[in-house]
Amino acid sequence: MTVPQQNATPAGEPLLSARDVVQEFVVRERGGAKAGVVQAVSSVSFDVMPGETVGIVGETGSGKSTLARAILQSPRPKSGSVVFRGTELTKLRGRQLLQARRNMQFVFQDPFGSLDPKWRVRSIVEEPLIAYHVGNRASRRKRVDELLDIVGLDPARYAKRHPRELSGGQAQRVAIARAVALEPSLLICDEAVSSLDVLIQAQVLNVFERLRKDLGLSYVFIAHDLALVKQVSDRVAVMYLGKLCETGPGESVYRKPLHPYTRGLLDSIPSTEPGAARASATVKGEPPSPINPPSGCRFRTRCPRATDLCADEEPLPRELAPGHLVACHFPLTEAAPAAAANGEAQGTAQNTAAAGTAQPTTSKAVS
Amino acid sequence: MALPIPEGSATTALPTLATAAPPPLPSLVSSRQLRMQRIGRSLRLWIPVSILGVIIFTAFIWPLVYTLPSPTNGNILDAGLPPFSPGHLLGTDPVGVDLFSYYVYGTQTSLEIAVGTTIIGMAIGCAIGVTAAFAGGWVDAVLSRVLDILIAFPALILVLVVSYALGPSKLHLTYALAFFSIPVFGRVARGATLVLRSSPFMTAARLSGTRNWRIIARHIMPNILPGIISFSLLGLGLVIIIEGAIDFLGQGIEPPQPSLGQAIAQGQTTMTATPEYVLMPSIGLLILVIALNMFGDALRERWGVQ
Amino acid sequence: MSEALLEVEDLRVGFAAGGLEVRAVDGVSFSVAPGNTLAIIGESGSGKTVSCRAIMGLLPSGANINGSARLRGTELIGLSDSEMRKHRGSDMAMVFQDPARSLNPTIRVGLQIAEAIRTHHTVSKREAQTQAVELLRLVRIPAAERRFHEYPHQLSGGMRQRVMIAMALACRPKLLIADEATTALDVTTQAQIMELLLDLQEELDMALIMISHDLGLAASYADEVIVMYAGKIVEQAPAAQLFGAGGAVRMRYTRALLDAIPHMERPAHAELPIVGGRPPDPTALPPGCSFAPRCHHAQDDCREKVPALAEHAPGHRWACWHPCENGGAA
Repeated sequence: MTVPQQNATPAGEPLLSARDVVQEFVVRERGGAKAGVVQAVSSVSFDVMPGETVGIVGETGSGKSTLARAILQSPRPKSGSVVFRGTELTKLRGRQLLQARRNMQFVFQDPFGSLDPKWRVRSIVEEPLIAYHVGNRASRRKRVDELLDIVGLDPARYAKRHPRELSGGQAQRVAIARAVALEPSLLICDEAVSSLDVLIQAQVLNVFERLRKDLGLSYVFIAHDLALVKQVSDRVAVMYLGKLCETGPGESVYRKPLHPYTRGLLDSIPSTEPGAARASATVKGEPPSPINPPSGCRFRTRCPRATDLCADEEPLPRELAPGHLVACHFPLTEAAPAAAANGEAQGTAQNTAAAGTAQPTTSKAVS
Repeated sequence: MALPIPEGSATTALPTLATAAPPPLPSLVSSRQLRMQRIGRSLRLWIPVSILGVIIFTAFIWPLVYTLPSPTNGNILDAGLPPFSPGHLLGTDPVGVDLFSYYVYGTQTSLEIAVGTTIIGMAIGCAIGVTAAFAGGWVDAVLSRVLDILIAFPALILVLVVSYALGPSKLHLTYALAFFSIPVFGRVARGATLVLRSSPFMTAARLSGTRNWRIIARHIMPNILPGIISFSLLGLGLVIIIEGAIDFLGQGIEPPQPSLGQAIAQGQTTMTATPEYVLMPSIGLLILVIALNMFGDALRERWGVQ
Repeated sequence: MSEALLEVEDLRVGFAAGGLEVRAVDGVSFSVAPGNTLAIIGESGSGKTVSCRAIMGLLPSGANINGSARLRGTELIGLSDSEMRKHRGSDMAMVFQDPARSLNPTIRVGLQIAEAIRTHHTVSKREAQTQAVELLRLVRIPAAERRFHEYPHQLSGGMRQRVMIAMALACRPKLLIADEATTALDVTTQAQIMELLLDLQEELDMALIMISHDLGLAASYADEVIVMYAGKIVEQAPAAQLFGAGGAVRMRYTRALLDAIPHMERPAHAELPIVGGRPPDPTALPPGCSFAPRCHHAQDDCREKVPALAEHAPGHRWACWHPCENGGAA
């Protein structure tokens, strides 16, 4: 068993620091003419401290997966900075990028898609070791067996199998074994358990937890399932249409959500808790197109609290509670704004449940 | 904590009290159905394999074992004998050449050319196609245009020109035909590689730090090869036909050298008068092509290729 | 007892695949009252989708179907395809998971709905198109007349699903089966679609069968819940009874499901109670209870005898030799 990862980062410094990351894609028409630019990630900043799990939550089009790939430089973000273990990744190329990225690994959503169907489990897990010239054949073999053990797969039974002989949960474990082969400091999991059955999902989540404890891994955990993210994360970031709405400690974000979108998301989740209210659709309407996102606050077209200010001015993140940032002109600590275009906050503490009620909006028409 | 479960029938709309644990279920699917499925799967592989085996054996091994009459020189006195004549299993052609021997050696020649063409086409075509799809960008653009140009050439004319330039011979004909098959394999290989490129395991390989050449050799090739091999089997029959057309037009194999394609092309000229001269080799080719196709399908079934 | 809309009795479905027999559905019985919502919950391979497709007559011809499914007294199993077509759409309809694949990408959505209408009613094209626009309004698609002329790829996932629902409702069926209809949607869209379905249920006096793997959906929206595992029903109860305060989940599998779902109330990094293994191979079901190989509480009788589904408490049926104690994890 390997010792917990010693990070090259000095104490107190973040392991990963993303600042103003921007990623865009050009959408082309049939003939090749440019039809528009998808603003997938617009100026997103966040940190991951060593040993921490940061969960990123968002729906389709939120840009969370694109953000993950941008951090990996695969493809490189259009602009912004990604500092990992003290090194600026966006400036590196080729060999250097390979070396710097050695400590950052990725687990994909599709367990079978991420494994070469023609390879055996042993070769799959060994691949990173070979690529980085770790040890010799014998030591690599031992390491592969170790890794399979760590993820709960008996090497004697599974090392020789092909991916098609594995179940979804087993395949994902092989992917995880491969990901931790080089003892990374950071593991980015992009919907890593979303395609698994509930019981298998729990098994794989426990593997993540065990690795976290035994290897001191940090995680960036991306998912659309809020309850899942809350369970695995120390801090949670909520994304909408390429922007971060709210970031903060998991408990804080869930018990006292400050952004109307977070509140809306929480309301929509059907819960099995006894006595839980039935899920309600407080977020109305359709998500706007990421090619032409709404001006100002991107959530304003579906927000019950939006006013003209929301269309004119983009809200910047403000820290409203310890470690808890919100990008909203009218966060849920304050009373809902009056019908007039006035942004004065009322001093009264507002019941968060009431914040979800519809307010007469004066938002501009959606594009 | 087993509760007593009362016996009783359940005919009410909502079955409330079921009977005790039911006896083992009779099989829903008849074992006959299952057996038929298993047999069908086997047959689909072994029938074409047997047919191909027979053809290959007859074409390549039989002549080594048993001396066949010459396929090129015939005794004019034996001209036009019908099938099953003594000493001539399939009869003779208008100049006395033993047809069975002619077809055997002809199949040899045609198969050698077809396989040679396919291998060259596959090797070079795949190299171009995989490189194009893997590199992307301007490399892909340039190579794709090259392939497009090659495909756009009228194949027959191209082959004729190359044949003429190089001179008639089995080898030159193979080169000429390969010229035509390279772009086809190139397109197929490029398409297959493009599909793979977007697979997560390719990204995973890159993230694992694997170098490009290794990705191509160990990830891409093993995954596209089954599809390409299946595809090549389908093309073999077509190559034989084209080869025959070339021979007929005077390039390629010169008579009296035997070739299956030649036999068909020539037999066509006397189709109304003596249909057997075109029918026999055509049926032979048909069986060969069907066997190859069935074999290709059975391989796909086992290899799980789309 | 009120007349049940749909009564399924001892439904069994098997396939021959790759030379082996697959027992997809192994003796399933349930009924749906008019206007009610039934949730059928199960993981992959539980047989939930196959059962409903058998009822709708949508299984491939190689499938062997036994048992009975009566819709308002009419037996559905064994009907020919043309006879089934009379019932499909007019008496019962189905909505699937991936609207992108169920909608023809080359035909405008309005016309597809109109086509669905004309399959069952002889009306003029114009009349069908007017009705189609009405249906688009019914499913709360804004600017219905404009959307009529759009192609599926121009609509979002939620919109496409609404179009599918509109098509399904073209002839006001009394039973709608939603097969993982919201699984591929965002949770906010899911909430919208579920609200729509419930409102439509009231408006049209329609029964709804929801097929899903999400117990939360069942808790939130269903009247009655059925849990399936390896082709059998293992627990059945009204939702309020199963999930309400002091809720009594009895069958060990349902309990395992409930424990494995991430709960908002749980602290971060909590170790989840896990059940090892995987669902059984449908070609080789174990003797005795299908869940026994994975169950922490399995005993010898569990492995030898298949527990029968029986009503051990009023309205609550389960199939377990050693169920949970009342109130939860035991």
